[in-house]
Amino acid sequence: MFVKLSNLDLKDNGEIAEKGAPKLCMRALPGEGAERSCAFDGARVVLMPITDAAHVIHGPIACAGNSWDNRGARSSGSQLFRRGLTTDLRENDVIYGGEEKLRQALHEIAGKHKPKAIFVYNTCVSSLIGENLDLVCRQAQTALSIPVIPVNAPGFLGDKNIGNRIAGDVLLQYVIGRELEPSIPYAKNLHAINLIGEYNIAGDLWGVLPELKNLGIILQTAITGDAKFDDLRSAHRASLNVLVCSKSLTNLARHMQLRWGIPFIDASFYGVEETSNALLNIAKALGDPELLRRTRQYVKEREIFTRAQLASHKKKLAGKTAILFTGGIKTWSMVSTLKELGIQVLAGGTQNSTPEDFLRMKAMMDPAAHIIEDTSADGFLRLIKDKKPDLIVAGGKTKYLAYKTRTPFLDINHGRKLPYAGYQGMITFAQAVTRTVFSPVWDLLKHPFAGERGSSYE
Amino acid sequence: MSPANTVAEWINTKDYHTLNFERKDLVINPAKACQPLGAMLCALGVEGCLPFVHGSQGCAAYFRNNLSRHYREPVSAVSDSMTEDGAVFGGQRNLIEGLQNAHTLYKPKMIAVFTSCMAEVIGDDISAYVDKARQEEAIPMDFPVALAHTPSFKGSHITGYDNMLKGFIQSLAKPRDEKNLNNRLYVVPGFDPYPANLREIKRLLEKIGVQYTLLSDYSDVVDSPNNGTFQMYPGGTPLPEVIEALNAAGFLFLQSYSTTATRKYLQNKEKIPTESVPMPIGISNTDRFLTKVAEMTGKPIPEDIEAERGRAVDAATDAHPYIHGKRFALFGDPDVLLGVVSFLLDMGGVPVHIISSNGTPIFRKEMEGLLKTSPYGQSATVHVGKDLWHLRSLLMNDPVDLLIGDSHGKYAARDAGIPLVRIGFPITDRVNLHRSPIIGYEGTLNLITMIANTLLEEKDRNADTAHFELLR
Repeated sequence: MFVKLSNLDLKDNGEIAEKGAPKLCMRALPGEGAERSCAFDGARVVLMPITDAAHVIHGPIACAGNSWDNRGARSSGSQLFRRGLTTDLRENDVIYGGEEKLRQALHEIAGKHKPKAIFVYNTCVSSLIGENLDLVCRQAQTALSIPVIPVNAPGFLGDKNIGNRIAGDVLLQYVIGRELEPSIPYAKNLHAINLIGEYNIAGDLWGVLPELKNLGIILQTAITGDAKFDDLRSAHRASLNVLVCSKSLTNLARHMQLRWGIPFIDASFYGVEETSNALLNIAKALGDPELLRRTRQYVKEREIFTRAQLASHKKKLAGKTAILFTGGIKTWSMVSTLKELGIQVLAGGTQNSTPEDFLRMKAMMDPAAHIIEDTSADGFLRLIKDKKPDLIVAGGKTKYLAYKTRTPFLDINHGRKLPYAGYQGMITFAQAVTRTVFSPVWDLLKHPFAGERGSSYE
Repeated sequence: MSPANTVAEWINTKDYHTLNFERKDLVINPAKACQPLGAMLCALGVEGCLPFVHGSQGCAAYFRNNLSRHYREPVSAVSDSMTEDGAVFGGQRNLIEGLQNAHTLYKPKMIAVFTSCMAEVIGDDISAYVDKARQEEAIPMDFPVALAHTPSFKGSHITGYDNMLKGFIQSLAKPRDEKNLNNRLYVVPGFDPYPANLREIKRLLEKIGVQYTLLSDYSDVVDSPNNGTFQMYPGGTPLPEVIEALNAAGFLFLQSYSTTATRKYLQNKEKIPTESVPMPIGISNTDRFLTKVAEMTGKPIPEDIEAERGRAVDAATDAHPYIHGKRFALFGDPDVLLGVVSFLLDMGGVPVHIISSNGTPIFRKEMEGLLKTSPYGQSATVHVGKDLWHLRSLLMNDPVDLLIGDSHGKYAARDAGIPLVRIGFPITDRVNLHRSPIIGYEGTLNLITMIANTLLEEKDRNADTAHFELLR
């Protein structure tokens, strides 16, 4: 019933023994913390941005109640994907089974909300009590005449990136290449690309689209930010796959290459240099010399324009120091992004990246920079004390820890509200960094109470 | 018209409203969290206590995240990350290893173990596992561990709070010794999302001069001062006072539905004098709370508290024209709803729709009883076990002036074109609301201010030039 973990090539890049390298193990050590989310969450992250689909969680209230609409993936059209749908399994369902409840729920959703498709997420409880999700989905699909797709990624399978991969597998098995009218002969759209791992968090995708459009590059679909189900079905018509984050979806890109001959490249749209590299590499990979010539000219102009906008920020930020802790392509691309603002990365680390991303991060950092090994709260606190950075760039889980140590913090993961991708995104990012580093609250914090008990005044 | 547009309009109709209320097997936009989240909050309120989730790792990450987003504070907790092996062989190894690691790494004074679904489906005997952990010296023999079973497929976050609270007393408290009672009044706030509420209770009790223990008291844990150092255990009910809990002079509960099991246990099994009052929201309920404290302790209410009451009544008088006769919809936890509705009735506000996803039939009866006591309560319908999608239908077809509830209500409020006053858990889209009390006379004053001014803002926003006035 589950995807075989061995089929997912979890260790495809080979584990490396370097200090601080992300552990590719599938579970956290018992009792070490509660930083890592689960496979279910990983699958949600990848599939839930599909805007015109319904996403129903077959489980107890925990899974949907704690997570609905918590990602900040934005849609230009349908908002159906944001609705929190769940069968809310109760004790009686655990005893007598919840399949009938799920069947009714699927009929309710299809009949009243008219989604293009329904994704059904398995959870720890539904899988432990042996619900036959595949069968219920198959039957519902026949009865309802829309795709009803099982997502078998219960939380206990392990880390988030396992869920990411399972979601990639689900897209391959049930969505991509399954067009409504298969009679249309398969033809590739020249100059059309997919952006894999772009979830349109805070509208990132919308910062990249204008650049693509100006160059005449067509976005077939993002996988899956602001995506429509039918566009995803035609994802195989793209001429190129561009992996912008979530290396856990490398598998998806590989299989699309095998099945439809679509090559894939890595790219990051964070920072001026990386955005230019991304556009140039896309143009190169699309193999159109005229497009490449155009792109070369275009990125030159955009760089000049953007750098002019960044100049005042760079002047203020020069010499500032940062600690960076994130995942995916941002692991390394943020190093160069911060460097472009004149910020020195004192320490960098990652928990969920691939060894390749990790090595790339290491190569880009100053050789003297510290590689974060201890990613526990305690390790972080010691690091902050040692390095006294002017800024921490990381995900929401580190935010309040940073604040308690009076260290400026910028959220780079899904908790942020501003788009940082593309040239315009870099300007937004620079503004956000400046606002963060130079907020007067940090000074306020450093001055102790100066009243009558002023003996502590330093 | 595209099918999407058709659906968008159809879901606003009376027809859909009827169908929506026939919906049984699907929850849309839930307004409740799960047991272990409540257990985690309760566990944070005991001094030096590390919350420990026995179950899959994702659950614990969700709880920490959600509590962090509401309080805007770091939340320390661990999980023993059960995986497929756990499903097959049971979670014993995870729990023992987890206790050992957590004890070594984070040096807590005690650990509160509570379960998420996985452990409960496979039926782990956590009590036996903890004994085994002691025998294997994973933790010292005398290291305090409290236990609670908190599967998410039963109850909600308020049930989890209750079970953890009972777990603390059952696992840690010494047996009652009538000769050695400690003369303390144990006050249980219940699942209260406001650290400022806990501080307000303490302030009032101190003013009256009561010897008390607040159990559990997470006010300093989820709202710690910024002094430049992160503290993992910044406060909580002192552990010795938890151990002494059964020697209490009495217990006073400020919520009923989030403390049911604990109250029953103390009353029936331990025969401890136990009283319960509605959450002290509004003038009437605060009066009830203070009267009960005076009655239980024999201490008079000091004059300055009476002065506080006077100011709150004065504020109510000033604000009454803006609230009197206005129609309200409310959703949230049963105890909070009972408090806020009582407050609205005090003010002449008219509750119309009352939704409690985790409410029980007993709650509905109690709420209906409360509504009957006031001429302003006659238009209300109480819905238990319904979700925010039901609420949306109600708002679209039987409009009100204002919605009261947590941040999740913002979608329904926007669709209905009415403001949302944020009360409850979680509040993730406004800052600092948990830092002002909504209980006691001070809290009542805050509520009056929030609600009346929101209605006035709305009036200004919607006024044409002729009716846009300096005086309101």
